[in-house]
Amino acid sequence: MAAVIERESRDSRSTFAKIVNDERNRSIFYQILVFGIIGWVCWYLFTNTTANLEARGMASGFDFLGSTAGFSIAWSIIPYSPTDTYGYVYLVGIVNTLMVSLLAIVLTTILGFIIGVLRLSHNWLISTIAAWYVEIIRNTPLLLQILFWYLAVFSVLPRPKQSIDLGAMGIFQLNNRGLYFPEPQPGDLFWITMVAMLVAVVAVYFLAIWAKRRQLATGERFPVFWSSLGVLFGLPILVYLVTGSPLEWSIPELKGFNFQGGTKLPPSFLALFIALVIYHASYIAENVRAGILSVSHGQTEASSSLGLKPGWTLRLIIIPQAMRAIMPPLISTWMTVVKNSSLAIAIGYPDLVAVYMQTSLNQSGHAIEIVAMVMLFYSSVSLTISAAMNYYNERVQLKER
Amino acid sequence: MASVESSSGDVIVFTPKASKPPPATTVGVLGWLRENLFYSWFSAVLTFATLYLIFITVVALYQWGIADAVWEAESRRQCLDTSPHGACWAGIITWFNAIMYGRFPDVEQWRVNLGFILLFLWMAPMWFPRLKGKIGIGIMVVALYPFLAGYLFAGGERGWFMQFMVFLAVTAFINSWLHVILSLTTGRTLGEWIVGLTGFTDKHERLHKYPHLGFTAIVFAIVYFFLGDWSVVAVNTNLWGGLFLTLVIAGVAIVAALPGGVTLALARRSNMPVIRVSAIAFIELFRSVPLITVLFMAVTMMPLFLPADVQLNKLVQVIIGICLFAAAYMAEVVRGGLQAVPNGQYEAAKAMGLTYWKSMNLIILPQALKLMIPNIVGNFIGLLKDTTLVSIIGLYDMLLMLKATGQNPIWIGLHTEPLMFGALIYFILCFAMSQYSQSLERKLKTTL
Repeated sequence: MAAVIERESRDSRSTFAKIVNDERNRSIFYQILVFGIIGWVCWYLFTNTTANLEARGMASGFDFLGSTAGFSIAWSIIPYSPTDTYGYVYLVGIVNTLMVSLLAIVLTTILGFIIGVLRLSHNWLISTIAAWYVEIIRNTPLLLQILFWYLAVFSVLPRPKQSIDLGAMGIFQLNNRGLYFPEPQPGDLFWITMVAMLVAVVAVYFLAIWAKRRQLATGERFPVFWSSLGVLFGLPILVYLVTGSPLEWSIPELKGFNFQGGTKLPPSFLALFIALVIYHASYIAENVRAGILSVSHGQTEASSSLGLKPGWTLRLIIIPQAMRAIMPPLISTWMTVVKNSSLAIAIGYPDLVAVYMQTSLNQSGHAIEIVAMVMLFYSSVSLTISAAMNYYNERVQLKER
Repeated sequence: MASVESSSGDVIVFTPKASKPPPATTVGVLGWLRENLFYSWFSAVLTFATLYLIFITVVALYQWGIADAVWEAESRRQCLDTSPHGACWAGIITWFNAIMYGRFPDVEQWRVNLGFILLFLWMAPMWFPRLKGKIGIGIMVVALYPFLAGYLFAGGERGWFMQFMVFLAVTAFINSWLHVILSLTTGRTLGEWIVGLTGFTDKHERLHKYPHLGFTAIVFAIVYFFLGDWSVVAVNTNLWGGLFLTLVIAGVAIVAALPGGVTLALARRSNMPVIRVSAIAFIELFRSVPLITVLFMAVTMMPLFLPADVQLNKLVQVIIGICLFAAAYMAEVVRGGLQAVPNGQYEAAKAMGLTYWKSMNLIILPQALKLMIPNIVGNFIGLLKDTTLVSIIGLYDMLLMLKATGQNPIWIGLHTEPLMFGALIYFILCFAMSQYSQSLERKLKTTL
């Protein structure tokens, strides 16, 4: 019965049906359909937007970037005054965002590695505490933690007169206006020391290459780590002393109701920074733990049977292989740190979103341009980081024959 | 039996001496302590240092949170006067209702409770063992509960469509539970009962849908007869707040994320260049920017994008923004799952002559989603945490309610206690989700 029907339908199949049932034609049809829908949505949004902009009398275009911003920014790394332009505000925001993100990335990576290793500790108490740290921090929202550090910790610190003296040396002062610390003031000849630092870095780079070549050729190992350390610190310090220590420190001192001299980080910066570090360290700790566990135990046994000492096993066998598993999630965590630094807006740290997407947008009304510029910044950071990650992955992935 | 006959004729049976117990220091509590806490002098030092740290932390927390805490007070001033170094839980008790429901009118809060109880009751059969038709119940919950809950929470006038969907949801709820009760008591499903009662047992299976439809219509009519005029007063969405609002936003985002993510992931792996490129552009755009910029865009730019006569309220704008964001993130998780399914499965499905959608629905997606359960739930947890960002836009979710506690003139400066209380609630919700996902992962594990 079914066969009869099928034969009949095959016989009566028209050219139209042939065209419709061809997979290539269907694919083209669906693509045109999707393209049409997307095109129609874009056109619809575009016409609505232009109509709305006209109805509200709002200007569009990037001319506003040259006009004076006129508002003040609570704290910025590069100097800023209300007479500067919107274009400069964008730059100020980017620098503030990158500053807090970069510092947080460095510290959170270190803390995350420590906690990840502690989670694998043989000591039950230590590994349990590390596990609970990860669970508690990961299961509470970052924004809540930021608010906690800001409202419950840094805002209730004593006034400048009763500052907490960190390190008890009188140079790091913590109070409800922020953390005050000495500011270096380079003298005339300080640039020579800077050059020496640069030279040292280059020298260490070539030293490492030379040492590796020598080891491959002769099998002799060269103490690269200690000699690099010596060059990195020794050369600049030597030059610094020879040129007559051209560096002054401006130390914060209590005068009247506030500190004079030195420089300070505001409470909002500190709260955001500490919350970012603590929150993302818990994610990095999990990555590190998983990465180390992913190296099979056979590798450890093989290296001991070759007679390597435990320290060498860790350094030459386990860490390089673990890094292959740790790096990709680690880099995406770094990307998350940059994105999450935008929560600064909740506590008034003047990052890009706060100064540009909120204050500048409210003042100038150029919503579309400003949102696009902010998104462009974050997208290009993401793209840069993921390009770096792809490059790294290509270099370290297993070369299988 | 090792027995030897000695020369005198007695049988000597070899009986080994009872083995000595292991050294007392390697077994029991002592052994465990030696093994795990004091296996070297360094470890011992570490253990004692940690114990000391735990001790002072616990004592300080106990002093602050329980021993010196104030449970009854009219204002923060009174709290501080009673006990300057203790927690002021009185503030939390006073604000508890606001933290839970926001500014939802007191007399209407039963609707919120009822909504969540109904959801719980409706979902409960999913955890009953040996029950047929769980998938059907699940689909009904996802498809119909939003209408019922939406009406319960928002209230007010309902149009003919809302009227129909609300009563359909009530009907589906009643049918689900009838089905559960019948199945558990008699072992026959509701469908079999209806077919049996109407005498359709002998007829072709294709005809069985008519008694099913008829039964549903009768239940619907009964529900309509009793509840047809039932209505609740409107509660404007700007009165929604607290944990209730957090759960509403997170719930909508979670429900929208999975289908959206699956669609985007399939589009990204499609052979058709236009579809693939659009999906990649969408996913990468939303993944590379912070959620807060998406929310700002939703609030500032959506009114520009839409015709002037369309007015969306802020909650809807924010929910749309979060849903788009969540779908983009979920797409990458699903894509990971799709890539983890071995190629042989794709080829086998094709060899069986399955169409694209059939091979995806029956072969690939079930495996891919099962592989990705931990990541999917991790994503849900992330979404729940991310809902706190709506407080920056000015929606009174739980976090903003907690913050508002310390900004109230009577309770000014009360920040530590509300934030710790909120952290506890978020922790319980997220931790429960992650533990459940781990147990689910163990249950569904099929590989050896």
